[in-house]
Amino acid sequence: MKHEAYRLLEGGDREGARGAAAHAIHATFKHGHNREQTREANQLTKMRKTGLASTAVLLALSLAACSSNKDNGNSSPSASQAASPSGSAASSSASASPSASQNRDEYKVDVFSMLSNFSGEQQGWFAKVVKDKFNLDLNIISSNLEGGGDVKFSAMMSAGNLGDLVVFGDDGQKYQDAIKAGMLLDWTQDGLLDKYGQNILKYAPKAIEKNKVNFGGGSKVYGIGFDVGDDKPGPSEARDLTYHPNLRFDLYQKIGSPPIKTMEDYLPVLKKMQELEPKSDSGRPTYAFSMWKDWDGNMMMNAKAWAGLNGFDEGDGFNNGGFTLISADKDEVQGVLDEDGYYLRGLHLYYEANQMGLVDPDSLTQTFDDVVNKMTDGQLLFTWFPWMNTYNTPERLAEGKGFALVPFQEERTFSYGYNPYGGNRIWAIGAKAKHPERIMEFLDWLYSPEGVTVANYGPEGLAWKKNADGKYELTDFGNQALPSNPTPVPEEFGGGTWKDGQNQINNTTLKLTDTNPDTGEPYEYDLWSSYLSKAPTKFDESWRAAMGGATTAKEYLEKNNMLAVNPQIFTGTAPEVISDSLSQKQSQAAQVIKQYSWKMVFAKNDAEYDKLKNEMIAKAKGLGYDEVLAWNKEQNEKVFGYRKQK
Amino acid sequence: MEPIVRASGESVVRRSRGLPERYRLFLYALPFIVLVFLFSYLPLYGWIYSLYNYRPGFKLSDTPFVGLQWFRSIFANPTQTAEVGRVMKNTIAMSSLGILTSVLPVAFAILLSEIRAMRFKKLVQILTTLPNFISWVLVYAIAFAMFNVDNGLINKIMIGLGWQDRGINYLATDSHTWLAMILWGTWKGLGWGAIMYIAAITSIDQELYDAAKVDGAGRFRMMWNITVPGILPTYFVLLMLSIANFINNGMEQYFVFQNPINKDHIEVLDLYVYNTGMLGTNFSFATAVSMLKSLISIGLLLFANRLSKLVRGESII
Repeated sequence: MKHEAYRLLEGGDREGARGAAAHAIHATFKHGHNREQTREANQLTKMRKTGLASTAVLLALSLAACSSNKDNGNSSPSASQAASPSGSAASSSASASPSASQNRDEYKVDVFSMLSNFSGEQQGWFAKVVKDKFNLDLNIISSNLEGGGDVKFSAMMSAGNLGDLVVFGDDGQKYQDAIKAGMLLDWTQDGLLDKYGQNILKYAPKAIEKNKVNFGGGSKVYGIGFDVGDDKPGPSEARDLTYHPNLRFDLYQKIGSPPIKTMEDYLPVLKKMQELEPKSDSGRPTYAFSMWKDWDGNMMMNAKAWAGLNGFDEGDGFNNGGFTLISADKDEVQGVLDEDGYYLRGLHLYYEANQMGLVDPDSLTQTFDDVVNKMTDGQLLFTWFPWMNTYNTPERLAEGKGFALVPFQEERTFSYGYNPYGGNRIWAIGAKAKHPERIMEFLDWLYSPEGVTVANYGPEGLAWKKNADGKYELTDFGNQALPSNPTPVPEEFGGGTWKDGQNQINNTTLKLTDTNPDTGEPYEYDLWSSYLSKAPTKFDESWRAAMGGATTAKEYLEKNNMLAVNPQIFTGTAPEVISDSLSQKQSQAAQVIKQYSWKMVFAKNDAEYDKLKNEMIAKAKGLGYDEVLAWNKEQNEKVFGYRKQK
Repeated sequence: MEPIVRASGESVVRRSRGLPERYRLFLYALPFIVLVFLFSYLPLYGWIYSLYNYRPGFKLSDTPFVGLQWFRSIFANPTQTAEVGRVMKNTIAMSSLGILTSVLPVAFAILLSEIRAMRFKKLVQILTTLPNFISWVLVYAIAFAMFNVDNGLINKIMIGLGWQDRGINYLATDSHTWLAMILWGTWKGLGWGAIMYIAAITSIDQELYDAAKVDGAGRFRMMWNITVPGILPTYFVLLMLSIANFINNGMEQYFVFQNPINKDHIEVLDLYVYNTGMLGTNFSFATAVSMLKSLISIGLLLFANRLSKLVRGESII
């Protein structure tokens, strides 16, 4: 089924060629009747030869297609055999717990992740950790990269197999369909969870409870949510938030740190910064906004980001996204196409930015990975997402260059509260998994203190080690490599670079700001006492001085009341699933909204921008936007009720 | 027919080997009949999905039967109808352009066959045939390498020459989308499309040319009066094929080249079906829309048949 989408693409061409061959033969027979001219006969034999040859090629092609289609990416013995020598050679020299893996068969696990931005076999240090501990090879299937949208999901559902380990981007229709269609394993079956899931039961009991009540009819467990937090109030983020405007702080200071009141005030500032540094390290042009469209769902994700900076987001923490933007902490809902809403305001901001030459013209055609590479190279001056920061390497920080929070005065950044029930990105096990107990065991480890630490920061001795007090501290390698730098990893730990070897499944288990019971400190490395006591870099110092002594972005935003903390709720029911006719309207209107949003950003002038905007609104409404919006609002309002219950 | 065949000694020998000729012929044809059935008729069963509210992963019998709801929804709402109309317009426009450009391989084949330097001729033929074997995804990769903003060859040249002051994203434009798509398609298919014609030209009796030469015909005269009529039958057969196929194998090209800016003009029927069915996960509605394709195909086929009758006095179906 890995080839399903590919086949869809290739199918047309094959069919065309097949038709051509059949017709060529047909044609030769037609011509054959006319025997007067010998040239026709010549032609006939020639064409017949061509016809036969192409038929043979076609048969071979279709056979190849059939056989490749059968290869579902399930553990094919030959492939894993071929992969094993290098793996085992590496493992024999390493020290990390070889006992567990030796007495088990190699097992290639298909990880179907609807969040991953990586497709293929997990590489590097994380692959080695998993191999040594569980003798598992993770084959990651990424729906983002394989067709985008729900293409891969639909294909795998139709094939009746979602792989061994499944990661859902939300707990809406797809997750509920998969449960209904029997594609997911019930963890209570044969006592699987009790036998192999002790860490999950210990560290995320409420998350299991939520899944049982919301999705399993009160008795069955089909999955568990991500970012399971401790049971406490306040923002759950570490130093940075999911959204906040990060700028090249050194450049911002060089132009005199002009005050920024509204979100539009960034534009002149960024323009000056661009004039100051028109070229990146490798001599490429710099941009304020370099965007990508492969994460767009119901709307243009990069435009939605501005809503996030104003305390609004597409999800309300319970229902899955639609055409509403919901306030984190107030009972307010905006429609995406509201004239005074943050979405259109964000679009207009990009339009103006593009007029000023601040938008990367590649935005339309590039993917997230391209943008990260530009970030690493220094082509960007701004980002909405602090976690995208690959620019701040130790070398650059020492030079005083780097990205840091430069807030706007009206900012109210969306913040997620601690959620003991787990978020809506779901880990599940496929019903057809060959050895569900081994997957359960692996997942359980990911939910254990050891697993959280190792899956994020590598095995002990590589990036971190225990110090005299039994707490963790970064090694020299860790200081170089974290958070995700392309630092070369020693061969004994799996080789490759730190960045490429990171866990590519792209879903979390326990919240990193939870307290690690082994150390009494958060899991998050930059909150370890050993890290906090480090002398700040030149860059950190200048930022802290400018921000009135705040040590982290979170601290500054919290102190200045610029956070909108989204309280977590427990509902006892699954989010309501949209009806099929509404869903059709939603997907059609969403396509229009996405398409026109991008066109509006690149509009040539105000008149064209307004024209496109009106067209977008008219078309979306014509396709049923209003009905979908009303339904979304109705669901969001239920959540406001739940918020008050708490 | 049969008694005569039986009377001949040859057929007696064959009979003694076992199978009568008619069965043997049937067996020869069988693999193709099976192929045609498998790939041309069996898929028609999929039309049944348009009558249900299908969701992947469930058996069809477990999903609700909705009758003609999806067909009605195409026309129920003016915006929706306009969308389908836009897609049909793109499909028909690009199909017609494709048919218009189907004479290019003929011209190319004729010109190629006039080249006397064999080495050069072969070289040209190889170079023009190769692109046919490159998948559209790779063609797009080439296009991206040439036209992207930061590293694109074209942008570098233009900026280097001082004709542009900054990079332009050439792929993200909606001007002349149809034309650009046809050009890409022609670049990819020209050499391959000419192969049949080259075969047809080489099989034209050399005596005809010799005779024409004696009569004082020049090169162009010979092309027009001998080569062109000689390959016309092949052209019409292939024209009909290209008409039938154009609507089928258009999807990949438009899929890789589509972006929000050019989507209005690049979204042909197959792509629209893909975008709504696979990306929008509405298989039943997409099936209903895709059935429109059959209508267009039949229309085009009849058109080609009529054309053939007019020009050659012989119909092809």
